[in-house]
Amino acid sequence: MDETTKQKLLDVMKSKLNRQLLYYLDVCAKCGACKDACHIYRATGKAELVPSHRADLLRRLYRRHFTSAGRVFPSLYEATDLSDQLLDEMYQAAFTCTGCRRCMVYCPFGIDLTWVIGVEKAMLSAVGKVPEELNMLADAAIEKGNSIDLYREIMQDQIRSLEPELRELTGMPDATIPMGKKGARVLYVALAGTGSILPPAVIFNLAGEDWTLSEFEAANYGYFLGDTARAARIAERIVNEAKELGVEEVVLTECGHAYRVMKHLDEVWSKQKFPFKVLSVFEPWARYLKEGRVKVLRPIAEPATYHDPCQLGRNGGIYEEPREVVKAICTDFRDMTPNREKNWCCGGGGGLVAQTDLEEFRADTGLVKAEQVRATGARIAATPCENCRLQLALLNERYHLGVEVVAVTDLLVRAVAPGALRKPEQEPRETAREQEASA
Amino acid sequence: MHALAYWITGPGVYLAVGVFALGLGYRLYQWRRMAASPMRLGIFPKPPPGAKVLRIVADTLAFPQLAEVNPSLWVAAIVFHVALLGVFVGHLHLLGRFPGQLEEMMTANASLVGGTMGVLWALAALYLLIRRFKTPYKEISTPEDYLLLLLILGAVVMGDHLRFFGHVDVGVYQEYIRSLYAFRPELPAALATSSVKWSFVVHILLANLLLIYLPFSKLVHFIGAFFTNGIRRG
Repeated sequence: MDETTKQKLLDVMKSKLNRQLLYYLDVCAKCGACKDACHIYRATGKAELVPSHRADLLRRLYRRHFTSAGRVFPSLYEATDLSDQLLDEMYQAAFTCTGCRRCMVYCPFGIDLTWVIGVEKAMLSAVGKVPEELNMLADAAIEKGNSIDLYREIMQDQIRSLEPELRELTGMPDATIPMGKKGARVLYVALAGTGSILPPAVIFNLAGEDWTLSEFEAANYGYFLGDTARAARIAERIVNEAKELGVEEVVLTECGHAYRVMKHLDEVWSKQKFPFKVLSVFEPWARYLKEGRVKVLRPIAEPATYHDPCQLGRNGGIYEEPREVVKAICTDFRDMTPNREKNWCCGGGGGLVAQTDLEEFRADTGLVKAEQVRATGARIAATPCENCRLQLALLNERYHLGVEVVAVTDLLVRAVAPGALRKPEQEPRETAREQEASA
Repeated sequence: MHALAYWITGPGVYLAVGVFALGLGYRLYQWRRMAASPMRLGIFPKPPPGAKVLRIVADTLAFPQLAEVNPSLWVAAIVFHVALLGVFVGHLHLLGRFPGQLEEMMTANASLVGGTMGVLWALAALYLLIRRFKTPYKEISTPEDYLLLLLILGAVVMGDHLRFFGHVDVGVYQEYIRSLYAFRPELPAALATSSVKWSFVVHILLANLLLIYLPFSKLVHFIGAFFTNGIRRG
């Protein structure tokens, strides 16, 4: 490794050293409790995949370069200098972690290993050592923000083509999908595919909401790269749009990390206070049901379970609203064990789903989740996050779970839309990621 | 050999206490001078406003989450730390006479739990040490982890030896401590001529090393855990 690269990596590391990080690096006792909380270790039993060990790679560098004890007695801490080998190990460690933070729930010290791993990701990002697929998706999103005019027409055509189906489903001849509507109360941010546009449009129309569809997609691949600068630029597109339209609420689609980024992270990254509220789509859904603005016409009798996505649940704080929705429409609801902040990660988070070379790894490490789903005896597995759905679909196939993996809003449409008389075909819709990849 | 015993039990103790205090102060300074992330990075659900401090203290002292995910490690860790506390309180008795009722309580405490705590501590430390030699703990451990456990185990075993085989009266240890207070450290004759003199010297040596190393080791978790648990509940 040449000196310039070395210096660059150390500079990034130095810029990321804050109080939290020092606590985490100094306090971890390497007790290994995190391994029992991690689905990846549980499924593989590989020592290098123990969460604390993933973070230990950074700790070695920290000892070597930023502590006097580590400089004087490097071998005591296995302190090491930067090398290509260390960087390779870091890459393997950082980009195979789903960032679910389940280990933080169970750590006796409450150490956020994802935070430490995030610093490793930031360093790797700085020298371009990142999964190419994530990199391209992040750049494409920023590029779209720069040249939205080129995309606008294509997108509008796409949206218009959805409206006949929307009218059929809602039974409302004037149902629309408004875009760029100034002064709308709600800005709804979907994913890139049409899959997260039509079903919410049905609900918004049925509820008589004053809404408009965002021109941008909620997914943020900069965040998965640990590149906060790029992540903030991706989020900025939506923030600017919401400000221009003057909306009261920005409602994020059923996407875990997108909600977390907008609700909990971006205000700090971009050093501003949003003039609008950030909500997850489940908050209006639960409210409409409660207020009777949306009525359950056909309750679903098949046993149904709900998977808490990590970014929406333990990292985002949305547990009850999606459950309220599922319980309102499914007569046989079965919660997973454990659930909420203790729920097992599906194995697809942290951008892992977008890395095609990790498919086998994801199928293997999803074992714990698969068993958990099977134990509920449910035939329907509803979950909000696109990553979770893709991953659960993979596990469904691999472990023959015999469940239908479905978005909560899709399920809601089935139960409340007057036009949705028969169960929609089981053909998987084009996923957001495939759409983005082909864009 | 008399000189060696003197340097370990005399100036060595001052050095250890000094390095411990300054080192720990420096560690705290290093932590607190860094900017804290303005993000609230806690796990949801957040505790109700009034309960936050209580949860942080409970998390730090009892770490109930560990009991759920790794019961055997939790038992070992609880035994280890309760014994540590017991031994710590027991040692306070050596610092001098306590006023009134308290002195009687300290004496009663020492005879009741003193020996038990020392043995439990040694067993827990041994368990944690042996555990480190198994996969995957072996792979995730660094020499620091073994060194600390060896220092603790050594000091505790020596302490147990003093207790069970020494037959040295508590007053003798108090006399030694008084000599330290007066900056005229010396081993009282009863101890210097006792058969356990070298257990005592090694006990003090290992305790000194532990105190010196502590601020630069992962043992800073005894303070840091309050902060990290605070972030989780934040």
